[in-house]
Amino acid sequence: MAVDMKTIEHLCGLSKLTYDEKGMEKVMGEMSSIIDLMDEIKGFDLTYDDTKDGNEIRFCDTREDVPEKSFETEKLLSNAENTDGCYVVPKVVE
Amino acid sequence: MDLTRAKIRDLRKMLDSGEISAAELCKEYLDKIEEKDNSLLSYITVTKDEAMKTAENAQKIINEGKASALTGIPLAIKDNICTDGIKTTCASKMLGDFIPPYNATVIEKLNEQGYVLLGKTSMDEFAMGGSTQTSAFAKTKNPYDLERVPGGSSGGSAAAVAASLTPAALGSDTGGSIRQPASFCGVTGIKPTYGRVSRYGLVAFASSLDQIGPIANDARDCAILLNAICGGDRHDATSAKIDTPDFTEKLGQPIKGMKIALPKEFYDGVDDTVRACVTDAAKELEKQGATLVECSMPGLKYAIPAYYLIACAEAASNLSRFDGIKYGYRGEGRTYNELIIDSRNKGFGEEVKRRILLGNYALSSGYYDAYYKKALALKQEIIKEYNDIFEQADVILTPTAPTPAYKIGAQDNDPVKMYLADICTVTVNIAGLPGISTTCGYTADAGLPIGMSLIGKRFDEQTILQVADAFEQGFVPVAPKF
Repeated sequence: MAVDMKTIEHLCGLSKLTYDEKGMEKVMGEMSSIIDLMDEIKGFDLTYDDTKDGNEIRFCDTREDVPEKSFETEKLLSNAENTDGCYVVPKVVE
Repeated sequence: MDLTRAKIRDLRKMLDSGEISAAELCKEYLDKIEEKDNSLLSYITVTKDEAMKTAENAQKIINEGKASALTGIPLAIKDNICTDGIKTTCASKMLGDFIPPYNATVIEKLNEQGYVLLGKTSMDEFAMGGSTQTSAFAKTKNPYDLERVPGGSSGGSAAAVAASLTPAALGSDTGGSIRQPASFCGVTGIKPTYGRVSRYGLVAFASSLDQIGPIANDARDCAILLNAICGGDRHDATSAKIDTPDFTEKLGQPIKGMKIALPKEFYDGVDDTVRACVTDAAKELEKQGATLVECSMPGLKYAIPAYYLIACAEAASNLSRFDGIKYGYRGEGRTYNELIIDSRNKGFGEEVKRRILLGNYALSSGYYDAYYKKALALKQEIIKEYNDIFEQADVILTPTAPTPAYKIGAQDNDPVKMYLADICTVTVNIAGLPGISTTCGYTADAGLPIGMSLIGKRFDEQTILQVADAFEQGFVPVAPKF
């Protein structure tokens, strides 16, 4: 196996995901096959040169940092639950 | 009215001459969707009332003699492109109820022309997949054979065009998601150069690779749609600030003297039928006066890991916003962490979760140099190899996919097999080049479409549209019996 259970648990922590015991076994098998495939890239013998990136295209200039009319608050809140003119987050206690 | 494979430009003539009104045309398509889409499942949302209302408004513009190319033309939009006031789900439970408060720039541009939105088409969840079978809401089928996949991730858009449930559609392409479903469904789809079309309002999968593009019945209709949606955008700093040509300009011009490169590695691992079909297409282009150039792209060997490492690293980062608090489906939990984990566990499907795990693996301490930076090195090598080929050729011809459309379920339990099937398309995204897929034949036994891809120099969509069109003029497409 390219990855062990400890690595999968670590990745789940980083990804904010969990699986039950059976799910962990399944995902470990799948991720091992996927990482075996990714390992093929180790056969490629070149080093990344960050000075060569993105020099070919002229992208749009960034906007000036000035305030301008944007969305109406009410419209932005239309997807939120429990609004009372504010964005209300769920109550969670650590 | 027979709408089978109706072209935008023919519909334009009918609307302008008064042969049909925009409302009548819209209703024809809506009726057909109602009649047929229960078995095809190409749409997630059909915007019946809004469509009729915008068609009425479009008619007023037509009556005033002020119609643009797309005024009154019905179109379908992939469900990861934000539409103001209309559900945009990304085919994910995570965004199952999301109604955007704004339009993507491409939608604003289409609105300026008075197009008619028929509805939002299905896709693989968050555009992650090549079958449209990871959709949480509509697992689209292939109109040529309902037991087969339509390709993906823009499978809903391609299937809807192929089944004549819309004359054309928009899709998005991160690693082949316009071209591969276009190939599987026997239609034409173009992924523009990275930066040609604004990504503002496209729900991000992998921001350095994503690009919106048209799917239509032929290259000419693709050019019309691309004319409408392209251009720099102040809301997207990665959209390119360069002049946009008229993409219909070179259509119909002869391809005599053009050099077409055939990189041998693209032909090595594909089905015999696909190889034979694309090789025959190359010979047809040669007959029209093009010169075929044999060449090589050694970097293709590493393209799949390079693509998946870059795409998944970006996806893991982009999708971290879906926490059930700021964005997306809200689960339950007594603590902050429990709430986020429950939201993501229930909101994301299995393929999306796998890609987040892989992305975090590539970015995590101890693996970053070995995987992610190595993938970036390979990206530079692939760009160099493409540049070398373009020193001796005007366009590159490859198969679009290693196989025709496969049976639903054939790759369900094998993500590696699914990833390897992207071999013919991913390098175009890695290098940021334009690519178009058009049909070049059908399998002898099942009559399934086979697609070929033309890859162009950066910002040279005109030439690949010209070559695709030159081929299409001598090719008789077969519509599905669906």
